[in-house]
Amino acid sequence: MTLSRRTIIAAAGAVSMLALGTSAMAQDYPSKRITIIVPYSAGGATDILARQVADSLSQALDETVTVENRPGAGATLGTTQAAKARPDGYTLFMGQVSSHGIAPAVYKNLQYDPVADFAPIKLLMSIPNVMVVNKDSPYQSAAEFLAAAQSEGKTFGSSGVGSSIHLSGEMFKARTKADMTHVPFRGSGEAVPALLAGDVDVMFDNLPSAMPHIQSGALRALAVTTPERSDKLADVPTLDELDIPELDGFAARSWFGLLAPAGTDEAIVATLSDALDQVIVSDGFVKFADTRGAQIEGGSPEAFSDFIASELSSWKTVVDEAGVTVE
Amino acid sequence: MLENIATGFELFFTLGNLMAITAGVCLGVVVGAIPGLTATMAVALALPFTFNLDPVTGILLLVGVYKGGVFGGSITAILIRAPGTPAAACTILDGYPLAQKGQAGKALNMALYASCIADFLSNLSLIFFASLIAGLALAFGPPEYFWLICFSLTVVISISGSSLTKGLISGLLGLLTSTIGLDLVYGTQRFTFDNFNLMGGVSYIPLLIGLFALPEVIDFYVRKVAPVTVKTADKSRVTLEEFKRSLVSIIRGSFIGVIIGTIPGAGATAAAFLSYGEARRTSKSPETFGKGNIEGVAASEAGNNGVAGATLIPLLALGIPGDVVTAVILGAFMLQGLTPGPLMFQDNITIIYAIFIGIMLSSVVLLGSGKLAIRYFAKIADIPRHILLPVVLMFCVFGSYAVQSQMFDVGVMLAFGALGYVMMKIHMAAAPFLMGFILGPLFEDNLRRSFLISEDITIFFRSPICWIFIAITVLSLYVGVRRELRATRAKRDAIRAGGAR
Repeated sequence: MTLSRRTIIAAAGAVSMLALGTSAMAQDYPSKRITIIVPYSAGGATDILARQVADSLSQALDETVTVENRPGAGATLGTTQAAKARPDGYTLFMGQVSSHGIAPAVYKNLQYDPVADFAPIKLLMSIPNVMVVNKDSPYQSAAEFLAAAQSEGKTFGSSGVGSSIHLSGEMFKARTKADMTHVPFRGSGEAVPALLAGDVDVMFDNLPSAMPHIQSGALRALAVTTPERSDKLADVPTLDELDIPELDGFAARSWFGLLAPAGTDEAIVATLSDALDQVIVSDGFVKFADTRGAQIEGGSPEAFSDFIASELSSWKTVVDEAGVTVE
Repeated sequence: MLENIATGFELFFTLGNLMAITAGVCLGVVVGAIPGLTATMAVALALPFTFNLDPVTGILLLVGVYKGGVFGGSITAILIRAPGTPAAACTILDGYPLAQKGQAGKALNMALYASCIADFLSNLSLIFFASLIAGLALAFGPPEYFWLICFSLTVVISISGSSLTKGLISGLLGLLTSTIGLDLVYGTQRFTFDNFNLMGGVSYIPLLIGLFALPEVIDFYVRKVAPVTVKTADKSRVTLEEFKRSLVSIIRGSFIGVIIGTIPGAGATAAAFLSYGEARRTSKSPETFGKGNIEGVAASEAGNNGVAGATLIPLLALGIPGDVVTAVILGAFMLQGLTPGPLMFQDNITIIYAIFIGIMLSSVVLLGSGKLAIRYFAKIADIPRHILLPVVLMFCVFGSYAVQSQMFDVGVMLAFGALGYVMMKIHMAAAPFLMGFILGPLFEDNLRRSFLISEDITIFFRSPICWIFIAITVLSLYVGVRRELRATRAKRDAIRAGGAR
């Protein structure tokens, strides 16, 4: 008897839980561990940012937030898994310029849709790329370099095919019709030494990895690739402001933002968005961004959505012009 | 300077720092000993704990985890033929045969001594010659790197086991396997069969586990060997004579490790194999290598631990992270508002000294915690195989899955396990396969990069480093092949003589 009564109570409980549905879930959110999927292996820029965010977010939400690395297939593997995750707010994704900007333009048969499969939460920060040459290079400005590249041919290094470092170079090359050969490496850690040693002529490196070498004088910054100058390199011009018509409006940068799988309750997205507003002004995060020469972004989920749309279209243009594809 | 060192001492000698380095090393040894959890992963997992620590404590914790992890990998390599970390794969070659002979304790202790000595020498080079050796990191452009890899590939001769031909076939299969995935320059798919999971190439750790650990398990069940009775607790120790004999290999291995560690991207696995190859090449009895020669264990462990301190050289001297571990450590520095590189030696020299003092101490901590770990882990050797092997099998599956949380990788492990079993049955050494697999991409990438940088073939002869490596490659090929051929001939003659009798 008792057994059946207990079963009935349990069943009733289950039914009422179902009836309360998703709104109840959103109200209780978060009630268990949250996971942020990072589509790169541990230790990379995205991973370190995600761990910083996870640390601050768990304080803001008073719930454990962990990072899960799902590397492989040029970051598309982890992104695909995040796209297919249950949209309950407990699996989030650290999106970046690759997953929601470049990859959709470069990879022909991508397994995820960067727009339809995701619910953007917040753009967290952006990092300019900086055009750098070796200290012994004869070129003192981007214009001088361009003139040389147009007449005799130059090489540019990158951290790999389809990286923002690679495509910034391709963007420069496509617009100016300069004769530049791409020399890919596996990560900035291998590409920067090649630039320091003079094996490649130029690189459009992410600011954080180039910064120490600019400061020590080993590399010379010719220009930044963002529309505005960087606070960290106030006397370095943007490509856009140079007196070179082909480079007008040049904008290429790396960025990072948090997304949820599409179908995540709007209330949950709002909760996370509010929590992230606290995260990005926290001391730890501000210091984190500052040491990397990164710009803290923020804004609403809708603004992030629009931002992704504009990124997708601008990288598509570069990729089409440069003719970069991965079959 | 003295004042700075004194301040460095003051900064270092806090209870927190001592605890951080001890905890780091112990954690590293344990995580390193679990197949599938690498030193790199351990460092990344420990990173968030450093957010709220002060800079020296945080960095020492990570360095401790890394160093412990590199040694820890050898424990399971010796005991169950499953390298806990990729760099320990070479330690299997002689460590596992020793364990089979009931001398696991000896092998583990030698691995520990070699690790600690190499670690210590590596730290010394970091502290005293960092600025001198750091130049190496830049001197190795694509052409120089290409020749270094050519030289490394000649090690295949030394690790081919009974048959050079089979060893070469094994190495070529490894090279072939390494071409799977997207190519570096154009992103063309090769041998991926449109499978999404293969786009990034065959995963390294599942391949490693499959190739080495699984064949033992399969063999046990196929042969249906009667359960071995429990051995008496292993009391074998490294004798003074053995230690003296191995010392040259340890020192040589340490320096190979230091050089390889300084060059970005080459890695501890290559260093271990190079050191092993050199030890065997210069040995008076090369035929005993691969059958349980204690010198082999010493050489490979010296090689991979020699890398540990040296990878910090390009990081601290130039601000360049040479591998994933140092990239994580770079991240930790930056989180603390410190930027490794030449400027740090000007602005934060006391922190550098404090870290150096901690790093020196880590070698001693490693010796202590390693001794303790061996005492408990060595008991694994006493577990009857019919109980141990199912557990090993479980770890094979778990370790392969853990890397990327992918069932596909478990499949990869099983596939390479089957291949490894076949290779074992036809007496084809698996080590050359691994060498080919690791070196293949480095070989190809640097060859292609060289051609992208210059269309002129003379780029391959542009510097003295190129010429040095060309020379030792040729020499190594000549000496190695000649000796192997002689050995084969001697064996054939012996068989013939035996047959005639």
